[in-house]
Amino acid sequence: MAETRGATVEFRSVTKRYGDTVAVDGLSFAVPAGRICVLVGPSGCGKTTSLRMVNRLIEPTSGEILIDGENVLQGDPTELRRRIGYVIQQTGLFPHQTVADNIATVPRLLGWPKERIGARVDELLTLIGLDVRMLRRYPAQLSGGERQRVGVARAMAARPPVMLMDEPFAAVDPIVRERLQNEFLRLQRDQGITVIFVTHDIDEAIKLGDRVAIMRAGKLVQYAPPGELLAHPADDFVARFVGSDRGLKRLSLLTVGGADIDPNFDRSRLDGAPVLSPSMTLRDALAAMLASESQTGKVMDGDRYLGALTLAKIGAMLRVETPA
Amino acid sequence: MTPGEPLVRWDWVANHTGEIGLRIGEHLELTIIAVVLGLAIAFALAFAGLRLPHLYPPITAFAGILYTIPSLALFAFLVPYTGLSLLTAEIGLVSYTLLILVRNIVSGIRSVPSEVRDAALGMGYTPRAILWRIELPLALGVIFAGIRVATITTIGLVTVTALIGQGGLGYLILLGIQQFFSTPLIVGATLSVALAVAADGALVLVQRSLMPWTRVR
Ligand SMILES: Nc1ncnc2c1ncn2[C@@H]1O[C@H](COP(=O)(O)OP(=O)(O)OP(=O)(O)O)[C@@H](O)[C@H]1O
Ligand SMILES: [Mg+2]
Repeated sequence: MAETRGATVEFRSVTKRYGDTVAVDGLSFAVPAGRICVLVGPSGCGKTTSLRMVNRLIEPTSGEILIDGENVLQGDPTELRRRIGYVIQQTGLFPHQTVADNIATVPRLLGWPKERIGARVDELLTLIGLDVRMLRRYPAQLSGGERQRVGVARAMAARPPVMLMDEPFAAVDPIVRERLQNEFLRLQRDQGITVIFVTHDIDEAIKLGDRVAIMRAGKLVQYAPPGELLAHPADDFVARFVGSDRGLKRLSLLTVGGADIDPNFDRSRLDGAPVLSPSMTLRDALAAMLASESQTGKVMDGDRYLGALTLAKIGAMLRVETPA
Repeated sequence: MTPGEPLVRWDWVANHTGEIGLRIGEHLELTIIAVVLGLAIAFALAFAGLRLPHLYPPITAFAGILYTIPSLALFAFLVPYTGLSLLTAEIGLVSYTLLILVRNIVSGIRSVPSEVRDAALGMGYTPRAILWRIELPLALGVIFAGIRVATITTIGLVTVTALIGQGGLGYLILLGIQQFFSTPLIVGATLSVALAVAADGALVLVQRSLMPWTRVR
């Protein structure tokens, strides 16, 4: 399954002007192979424009974009697009084609033999957790969440090394969104695809991104892993954008196992303390401790006692620095 | 009309089934030729208007002018050039289909959601493939609405082509008027309406079979 290998994507001083408007202004960053880069920022900051320059739905005014070191601006755009997955918020599923035909779009354009297309469609359907009976349905017969899943499957069908996603989960309700996000993360890890993902939801960016690029008025303000973004926002804009609860958000990126646990804490004093596992996030640990009105948590790896985690230690991690 | 005579003399109808059948056949033939030719020309004009948007207003203006010329006047104008011929009849009939067909083809294609077009382009469809495999199938509903109106209008207009000697059910109507004899007049007019209803029903069936995705839910 993991025969797909992600490609590296690099923006080099990419600028897009529309007359006097500068939509994207000297954007430079690199996405390592197989990682998710999330572009986030307020409306109109140039996220969609940046994304659509990768598959040349928009041509940059200047600069270059490299996929595995190759400039996308050289060569045939149609051929390029067949190697890049593309998912948009409104899905853009073809209303006159069945789910099966929609998913088979790019393999068909690439001229795969019928049996190979059929096998791939079946495989993808399993991966996105839809029933085979769905294959004969038309998009109008699917729920919003199912449509988004089909949109993702369609984009992945020909095993592209790079996938572009523009607010793919924005149109569904929060519960479905959370499920789709989790499924997507699993799929992405499984297939090893490099993803550029656009959202204006900072929580989604923190959850999905290996790297997060914060944009403002066409410029890159900060490009960092989410933990670092929360701990060290580059400026006031980023600090405000990630929110005053960024300390709390950061806790959801850290696990109990990685925290400062006291192994010598007297176990007999932990009666009534909630049991925490090393893989739990600090946010969940905090919630458990607050719920049982306990100053401490008992960290257990199965039957093995690892030590105690105190509220004070979590509190210390909450106090992330404010920008200079 | 002779007083006391019934509106429809069924004995006349019974004795003229061959003639009536012939006129129905002629009527259908004139209609089908007109709609098929009209569609071909309308597609060419519509594609031109879509490719070069500044051409679209003059194209519809031209088709609109054709549409407003009274049919008798158009035939009278054409006869000195093309005679009392099939060509004269079809030039007139085709002219009247163009406005509705061109407008519906263009608006059908323009009504395709932009995100569908965007997704197709983004996945590596060529612009040509987008037109044939995405836009046209999705525009079929609106295009068929145009074909239905064009067909019904043409069936009505074909009754006039009898005046230039091209037969059809108009021939029976003309016969009735000339001989002060109501039977062929009523038969001709009724069959013309029936033909329009039947043709419309047939087109609906064709449309449904071509657009299976509109039958769900
Ligand atoms: N075709 C165009 N012509 C002129 N200006 C444009 C065009 N497309 C985009 N822009 C401008 O470029 C800027 C960036 O647009 P873009 O769509 O990339 O924003 P975005 O970050 O995706 O916003 P959103 O979160 O609202 O989707 C905006 O100011 C927009 O008005
Ligand atoms: Mg956008």
